[in-house]
Amino acid sequence: MASIHLQNLEKRYGAFVGVQNMSLEIADEEFLVLLGPSGCGKTTTMRMIAGLEVPTDGKIVIGGEEVNEVDARDRDVAMVFQGYALYPNMSIYENIRFPLRMRKIPASEHDARIRQAADMVELGAFLDRKPGALSGGQRQRAALARAVVRQPQVFLMDEPLSNLDAKLRQSMRVQIKHMQRQLKVTTVYVTHDQIEAMTLADRIVIMNKGAIQQVGTPDQIYSDPANTFVAGFIGSPPMNLIEGTAQNGRFTAPGVSAPCLDHVRGKVTLGVRPEDCQVGGDNVQGMVYGVEPTGDTTYLTVRAGEKMIEVKAARDYRSDIDQPVGITFDPAHLYFFGEDGQRIRGAA
Amino acid sequence: MAKARKSRGESLLLRYLVLGGWALVCLLPILWFLSIGFRPRTEVITPRPIYWPSFSLDAWRLLISDWPIAQYLRNSVVAVAGSVVIDLALAIPAAYALARYDFKGREDIGFYILSTRMMAPAIVAVPIFFLFKTLGLLNSVWALMLIYAAINLSLVTWIIRSYMLDIPKELEDAARTDGAGDLTILREIIVPACLPGIITAAVIAAIFAINEFLFTLLIASTSKAYTMSVALANFTGGSDGIIYNAIALVSFIAFVPILILVILIQKHLSRGLTMGAVKG
Repeated sequence: MASIHLQNLEKRYGAFVGVQNMSLEIADEEFLVLLGPSGCGKTTTMRMIAGLEVPTDGKIVIGGEEVNEVDARDRDVAMVFQGYALYPNMSIYENIRFPLRMRKIPASEHDARIRQAADMVELGAFLDRKPGALSGGQRQRAALARAVVRQPQVFLMDEPLSNLDAKLRQSMRVQIKHMQRQLKVTTVYVTHDQIEAMTLADRIVIMNKGAIQQVGTPDQIYSDPANTFVAGFIGSPPMNLIEGTAQNGRFTAPGVSAPCLDHVRGKVTLGVRPEDCQVGGDNVQGMVYGVEPTGDTTYLTVRAGEKMIEVKAARDYRSDIDQPVGITFDPAHLYFFGEDGQRIRGAA
Repeated sequence: MAKARKSRGESLLLRYLVLGGWALVCLLPILWFLSIGFRPRTEVITPRPIYWPSFSLDAWRLLISDWPIAQYLRNSVVAVAGSVVIDLALAIPAAYALARYDFKGREDIGFYILSTRMMAPAIVAVPIFFLFKTLGLLNSVWALMLIYAAINLSLVTWIIRSYMLDIPKELEDAARTDGAGDLTILREIIVPACLPGIITAAVIAAIFAINEFLFTLLIASTSKAYTMSVALANFTGGSDGIIYNAIALVSFIAFVPILILVILIQKHLSRGLTMGAVKG
């Protein structure tokens, strides 16, 4: 078990900046999720922690020890890969055993530890099989068992669920979270899926273009976004971001009018989540563009001017398209962002 | 419905006919060799067609009594097998470095290695002869082993490299974080994962080596170092004239080991010849 400190970490590939000036403290036993779109530097960050990439600048400290000069094989971290990376020529048993052999753990302990790790992911019956004879979910569990078996200081997981179908992903998510709580191993988890991030993380780090956008608990990230990028990335469907102008305590955009505080002025962006909108009223006056019932709720898309606004409506809400419709915003949950995309605090 | 089934049966029959015919065309030279090899010498060279050939072990007896065929076979096997072992020992690490390590001029070095295959062998024949003469390696099976290894090394390296390029990088990353070093990764992960490619390369090298003629003729000046391919040429001249039935029989004997080899690894071979090609 160990904490991880990243100090002013940078990775440049020629002129391209993969990760810029990243500083982060990851507490012992924490489940930290790096979240961002592809190419945002999250995987590069993880690979630097693993020792598979050499940082251009900055320091990595694991468990109080600077590891910049320590080879990947000697860092006590275990990594789970997107493509599982099981050794195709070895049985599952030998796959799980590989890290034990490499780390010169006495052979007498191997069998018990392999079986314990396999049981933890319910793979005990498949130990004799080759990876090719397993399903995607089983392979991913085998990869987890291989990471767990040597009781590392740190788990690194690089989009481990993205090759699985939606249903399997949900059950594996719960399994990973349960396992992490059980083993109490510091975990860094990379994903571009905000649902995974919200459900798994103790804290989420949102990255874009190599830089941290916001660090916080899932609740903080959701209810207190620092900028338009975070606001638009989290939530399903994401927050509506409406560009307009504010003056004299009033925000206006084509078809949209909402109250705001006096110090919000000029060109600003209004953010409002679909669940903080209600059908009826006059904050928005637009036309129904589409209605999407999902069973437990109904999503309504309203066109106001050129802008599409998503609304979470009552589950039995139905309407034809091109009908006039009004929307009310919950005034307690309006967010305003300045021209630079940063949040204007105390504005709602 | 019945008609559809019938036409399907017909097309299957047609397929067998066409493929069977093609197989016969391919096999004909081999069967012809075999037939010549077991006929009397006079019958082989007669200008009139013979519809019912007679059977004779003349050529067989000639080989057994006057000809050290066992030694030639042994020379062939030792030189070829040794050269393949040398090739693999050098090519596997080289291919790994060319496939995975990031260093300046990597692609250039890869190309230089391949370019050794591009010149005509006759150009280097004379220098090679003097080189081996100076080294005192003329007329030796070991020299042939080295020559064969040198001829095939570039090809073997490239075939294995193309296989290694197809192995996901994640596998190595996983092995590294699991605690493995470069040599362990090569031995335990890479080599097993590209075994079909290694086998393919080895067989192709063996076939080229066993058929090698020019350098063998140059280096092997007496029967001490003759291999099957050069020994064959002994039957084409001299006071006895061309002994066709013996040539046919020796050719067939030289062909059998490769046939067995190819049958054994057929599955890997067909995959191997296409695999590197699919991925650019």
